Amino acid sequence: MAHNLLQGTLDLLVLKSLALGEMHGLGISRRIEQITKGAFKPQPGSLFPALHRLEEQGWLTSSWGESEAKRRAKYYRLTRTGRRQLEQEVNEWNRISAAIGLALRTS
Amino acid sequence: MIWPPRASYLFRNILYRGSVERELDAELRAYVDLLTADGIRAGLSPQEARRAALLETGGADQVKEEVRDARTGASVDLVGRDIKYGWRSLRRNPGFTFAAVLALALGIGATTAIVSVVDSVLLRPLAYADPDRLVVLSHGGGGSVAPANFADWRAQSRAFSDVAAAEYWTPTVSGSDVPESVTALHLTSRMLPMLGVRPLLGRFFTDDEDQPGHDAVVLLGYGLWQRRFAGDANVVGRQLSLDGREYTIVGVMPREFQFAPFWTTHAELWAPLALGPRLADRRGSSLRIFARLRPGISIAQARVDIRAVAARLERQFPGSNRNVTVVPLMDLVVGDVRTPLVTLLIAVGLVLLISCANVAHMLLARAAARYREIAVRCALGASRGRVIRQLLIESLILAIIGGAAGLVLAYWGVRALVARSPAFLPRVTTVSLDGRVLVVTALLTCLTAVVFGLLPAIRASAIDLAQAFKQGDRGSAGARGRLRSILVGSEVTLALVLLVAAGLLARSFVALRRVDAGFEPRGVMTMTLSLAGTGVAEPGLRTPFYREVLERVRSLPNVSAAGMINHVPIVGDNWGIPFSVQGRPKPRPGESPSALYRVVFPGYFAAMGIPLRRGRDFTDADNENAPRVVVVNEQMARTIWPGVDPIGQRIAFDDSTWVTVVGVSKNVVGPAVAAPPENELYLPYYQDAGYRRDAKKHRTYFSLVARARCSVGQACDATTLLAPITGIVHSIDRNVAIADPVAMTQALDSSTADTRLYVILLGVFAAIALTLAAVGIFGLMHYLVAQRMREIGIRMALGADPGRVVRLVVGEGMRLAVAGAAAGIAGALLLTRFISRLLYGVGATDLTTFAATAGLLLGVAALASWIPARRATRIDPLRALRSD
Repeated sequence: MAHNLLQGTLDLLVLKSLALGEMHGLGISRRIEQITKGAFKPQPGSLFPALHRLEEQGWLTSSWGESEAKRRAKYYRLTRTGRRQLEQEVNEWNRISAAIGLALRTS
Repeated sequence: MIWPPRASYLFRNILYRGSVERELDAELRAYVDLLTADGIRAGLSPQEARRAALLETGGADQVKEEVRDARTGASVDLVGRDIKYGWRSLRRNPGFTFAAVLALALGIGATTAIVSVVDSVLLRPLAYADPDRLVVLSHGGGGSVAPANFADWRAQSRAFSDVAAAEYWTPTVSGSDVPESVTALHLTSRMLPMLGVRPLLGRFFTDDEDQPGHDAVVLLGYGLWQRRFAGDANVVGRQLSLDGREYTIVGVMPREFQFAPFWTTHAELWAPLALGPRLADRRGSSLRIFARLRPGISIAQARVDIRAVAARLERQFPGSNRNVTVVPLMDLVVGDVRTPLVTLLIAVGLVLLISCANVAHMLLARAAARYREIAVRCALGASRGRVIRQLLIESLILAIIGGAAGLVLAYWGVRALVARSPAFLPRVTTVSLDGRVLVVTALLTCLTAVVFGLLPAIRASAIDLAQAFKQGDRGSAGARGRLRSILVGSEVTLALVLLVAAGLLARSFVALRRVDAGFEPRGVMTMTLSLAGTGVAEPGLRTPFYREVLERVRSLPNVSAAGMINHVPIVGDNWGIPFSVQGRPKPRPGESPSALYRVVFPGYFAAMGIPLRRGRDFTDADNENAPRVVVVNEQMARTIWPGVDPIGQRIAFDDSTWVTVVGVSKNVVGPAVAAPPENELYLPYYQDAGYRRDAKKHRTYFSLVARARCSVGQACDATTLLAPITGIVHSIDRNVAIADPVAMTQALDSSTADTRLYVILLGVFAAIALTLAAVGIFGLMHYLVAQRMREIGIRMALGADPGRVVRLVVGEGMRLAVAGAAAGIAGALLLTRFISRLLYGVGATDLTTFAATAGLLLGVAALASWIPARRATRIDPLRALRSD
């Protein structure tokens, strides 16, 4: 259960991090660390499975390109359905966190 | 969820695994490179940066493994690994794997082969249209019918849409080649349309061709067409010379066509039956009557109808039309073999059950032995589903190998059965491997494998780990141990039932082989000389021909005696002849005593080795001018003149001339060795006008019996006489066909061939059952010893007598075997009643057989538990104590 929640969260964060444009694996990891203010620092052991899974779902596409330091890297980009999925997951997340927050405040 | 992209990824992940992996490699390398570059930019040395990057990445292999697990089709990949693992684990235990595969294969193979044969012979309908609407009309269930009765039934009955007749015929095919005697039938023109079959080439007979003079047309069987005409497609319209008369070929029947189905099954030539003036003949019964029920008429209604017709005719012609019966054709076709085939079916069912029980308890034992392994895997984090899937896959691998081996076995089995099946199995040529049966048996056995492979897996995967490690192998002894004992006990029970049945049949077979044939078969060769259509068939030339053949055969150096008879016992026809007895009131029509009608040349009894109990053999002086004489067999002497000397008694046939008994011969067996002896009488050839002068087909052949000169105690091959005798016959007239050459030892063998086949089959099943039961007991005891290794080790260390340890283990095995055998005896007592029809000279509850088979089974059981017991006494106490 906890594992699933974590996985779902990571997926959401990956999608969110790519909302502004394409990025390679390390870039995504850095970006997530940055936007969560260091709360999440995805390790390759969970980041890459998530990337491949999201790509196989059809939410991401990838292509090889050159990094700012002139190095070859695999870049990921949101697809149209990925963008829709992000919207949906953001709404879902807001709904759930609001509900849970409400539940935690009462009592 | 979006399926199309996922499906294409599944495709890619499985088919292009290599490039997918390479891309993942490159991606990870790029990640590490980027990280290293970051490190260098932050001021680290390249080496330090790289080490830090690798550390942060956390092991490329683990990452790759995680990615692989996340990919679509990961489960396919996992199953592949499970298959590899299961295969390796099966190969590590070749003994277990071999035994399990063998049990599966035997169960599937034997069942499929036997059921295929039973299905083709017994269950699949005849190859005619609506075969269950076809019936046979006869006297007393199977006898032949006089032409006049056939004509009246056809005209007067209302229950049948068609009534048709067939008559046996053995024409000699002559012409350019060596004359050949073939089995054939005369059929009334409606017969073939009634069966609903079609010719392969040409046409059937027309109604006109039922008239004498128009009947010189013939249909060829497929085999004869291939043999004599090399399958010539233009054969229709060609001529064929039969018994010296020219016939026009009007058609060819398809390969699978067989008629008649229960008698004359090897007919390969069919011609019209032109009864003509014989339609008025109410005495000469020679026709077999087939009919098709009119739509909507039941067989019971048909019986009522034909009985009314017969009753009317009997009033009109007293003595005729007695006991007219309507029997479904199928009953006649399968009648005699139904009991043995059903018996084999039950036997093979038992073998299947034993196989399943064996597979089941072997898998239980294996699971018990792997209790620890499973516990370890669970402890290392394997999920329950993963463990169950692993064991399930292992069971499936077993089931598939077993099923494949079973298929091979079934294929061979069917081929062996068809090749070895004697002629008495009807329609055996149509037998083929039955796919449905194969599927059903394979599913059954494989289901057993899966269920019993899975049951322990489910239980084992839910085990309390701490308990498992504390208790070791002993933790699994309880309920499953009992289940295994029950399974092995049932195997013993079923095996004993099969052993008893096989034993009873084997004793019957021995008893049949010990039946006194009434003649001395060793060295005797017989063959039939068919004169029809040749010059020597002329009444005046016939007798000189026979005499010359006999004389020249007798003068062969390696022939000690020769004689002739109209029908050779066992292999030849059996004609009955009614007679009246001097000094008794004349019997009412149809109630005369009768006897088998034999006509012989002087010297026949010596050639066949039939002892004369009283009186004398015929001589050349017993000719047409001398007083008429007869030799009767002991059975006839006993039943007709009980307590009186039969020599000098007199009987009469149709012509009312008194015939005096001059000799009494020993009874000779008929085609069914087990059948009680029948009345039999022998008339001298020179006093039988029919065989000397009658031009009819069935009077123009005679059989030669020649005895080879054999030295005592040496093998004596009668068949070496065939070539010189053929030479003699053809040197006199090369158109005479020599038919059915057979050595009498061979004839006797074939008369017990059916029982022999059942004995062999049941023997094989019983042997399989015994082996499986022994393997079962061995496996169980082996397992018990392994389980109690520590206890036994301690006992031995404390100085226990090895004999006591052996007694302990063997005693345990024997308790199980005795319980199983007791149930088996009870089961056999219930079941063997059903095979009493197949038994001869032994009762269905024969004590000797029961005792001997039970003894054999218990002996094997003792041996099977003694081997593990001996192993127990060799346990090194130190090792046993350390083994946990």
